[in-house]
Amino acid sequence: MRAYLVKRATFGVLTLFIASLLIFSLLRVVPGGPVDALIEEEWDDPVLRAQLRHELGLDLPLHLQYARWLGNILHGDLGVSIVLYQGEPVGKILLARLAVTAQLALLSLSIALLVSFPAGIVSALWRDRLPDHLLRLLALGGVSTPNFFLGIALIVVFGVGLRRGWGVGGYIPFGEDPWGWLLHLLLPAVVLGTDHAATISRMLRASMLEALGRGHVLTAKAMGLPRGDLLIRDVLRTAMVPVVTVIGNSAGALLDGAVITEVLFRLPGLGSLLVQGVYARDLPVVQAVVVVAVGIRVAVNLVVDLTYGFLDPRIRYGGNGR
Amino acid sequence: MTREIQRGEYELGAHRTLLQEFWRNFRRNKLSLIGGVIVLFYAFLAVFAPLLAPYDPIEQFDAPRGMRNPMPPLSRDVDGRLFLLGTDKFGRDILSRAIYGTRTLLQVAVGSISIAMLIGITMGAVAGYKAGTWVDELLMRAVDIMLSFPSLVLAIALVGAFGIGKIKIGPIVLSNIVKIMLVIAITYSPRFARVMRAVVLQEMAKDYVAAAKISGASSARILLAEILPNAIPPIIVQASLMMATTVLTTSSLSFLGLGLQPPRPSLGLMLNEARDFLFWGAWWYVVVPGGLITLAILGFNLLGDGLRDALDPRQARRRR
Repeated sequence: MRAYLVKRATFGVLTLFIASLLIFSLLRVVPGGPVDALIEEEWDDPVLRAQLRHELGLDLPLHLQYARWLGNILHGDLGVSIVLYQGEPVGKILLARLAVTAQLALLSLSIALLVSFPAGIVSALWRDRLPDHLLRLLALGGVSTPNFFLGIALIVVFGVGLRRGWGVGGYIPFGEDPWGWLLHLLLPAVVLGTDHAATISRMLRASMLEALGRGHVLTAKAMGLPRGDLLIRDVLRTAMVPVVTVIGNSAGALLDGAVITEVLFRLPGLGSLLVQGVYARDLPVVQAVVVVAVGIRVAVNLVVDLTYGFLDPRIRYGGNGR
Repeated sequence: MTREIQRGEYELGAHRTLLQEFWRNFRRNKLSLIGGVIVLFYAFLAVFAPLLAPYDPIEQFDAPRGMRNPMPPLSRDVDGRLFLLGTDKFGRDILSRAIYGTRTLLQVAVGSISIAMLIGITMGAVAGYKAGTWVDELLMRAVDIMLSFPSLVLAIALVGAFGIGKIKIGPIVLSNIVKIMLVIAITYSPRFARVMRAVVLQEMAKDYVAAAKISGASSARILLAEILPNAIPPIIVQASLMMATTVLTTSSLSFLGLGLQPPRPSLGLMLNEARDFLFWGAWWYVVVPGGLITLAILGFNLLGDGLRDALDPRQARRRR
């Protein structure tokens, strides 16, 4: 197990490194870039351009630029924002934004888990009967409705229809007003959570049905084991491995949904920062957000690997059992 | 697993072609039929958009006295022209824009999936054929790294790299729509590579490939003429499911203002514009594009699930 984890962790770090190299060079192959964004047309002249490029370090060869950037990161310096928040250190902006996105992510994942587990279990146990049909229909709707459409619909209902201040978006820090904080995060978290709840409950239903049909479950049933024991010990545990994969995928891709919900509900998180950065062509900001996004993915995958070992002894004892 | 034996199922001499077999399996599931109908409806809208749209999608009409754009469904403009689904903020016909927007959406989705398939299938085929060598290792690690990016974040970053709008790389000028197709194709090609590699690995172990090798067929011939036909079913399933994802990603990019640019009719962009008019109660401005995107994703999801069940019986048994 340890050898397996060490291998996965090394691979994760390597992935992060190569991904950062990719995104770094990609953002620099196309001419223009931040210099275009900074210079107003009437001031445009080659001397000013050259000077700006020099100041931003964009005149160095690509590999030197990357080495410098990477070296700075290892010292905890992510560079400074060049367009959006001129001169502010990216690390500082990122931390503040990350906090908001993390709150949104935790709340939406909790909602997703709270909804999807009962739904998936009920669906599997009442298979092909009314509760199952209804829940599957709901899940199908949840998978198919785009975040932005559901979000706008909720804004129309709560913000416009019921005239709630929190129904139109915005962010209030927890320290200022905990109740307002929760209300403002609620709708975006529901939007983000719906998507994941639908995916997780569909997978949970499918893998529970598979587990229910397995030999050891039938044997246990025949031996007259209490239904509750049977469900938790034998069915749910066996069914968990693919479900954990799906939950991991959802958690690793939370930033995808966060981009949309944060822009729609005007939350100052990482997702909206990414979009603003792209608009403004603020390279240090964009590359930092993307690297953080990949980092979250890599970290979540490691946690998922750990969970596999916990759920499936074959992986725990067998080195790399996958 | 017990199942009632249906009448005629094991009739002697009932030989069916593969296509008939597929249709029989596919038809059994009502939901996938609905998905198929929805997808056909969208194809119809996209192909016949110029005939179906009552007005030019970018022509602006003036509201009559006492009214303002956006106008609700069934309103008329100064000259008495009827707008079935109302107008948008510039006085353009929502119905026509929705029809053309659907066309653009499908164009981008089909275009990017085709490019993604081309890249992904090539990568996967080479990796699978050279399994265990450094070529395979290199390609698959590249795929792993691509997949470690959350997909929308990667697409946005690529738009960030290329810039919004059309791009120039040296002498080549790419229109915005082609650029978006490329961005989405790059984002999703690794998934096709994985499917293709798995299929090639599976087929390579079979006798017919060994026979082809012994009879001296070249690698290219074995890959293209022997293995590729067997890869078609799983690739079709993947493509149909990916269409749903691509429709979502394309409209997400447009919704964020990073995809298709005005005045081109785009469903995602319409939703973005509509946000400013929510407080006017302009529900039609939201419901029409939002509903069309949702229904498209639903259709492709249902069709993809149905195709998977019909083409891959092993998976289907697991899911039932």
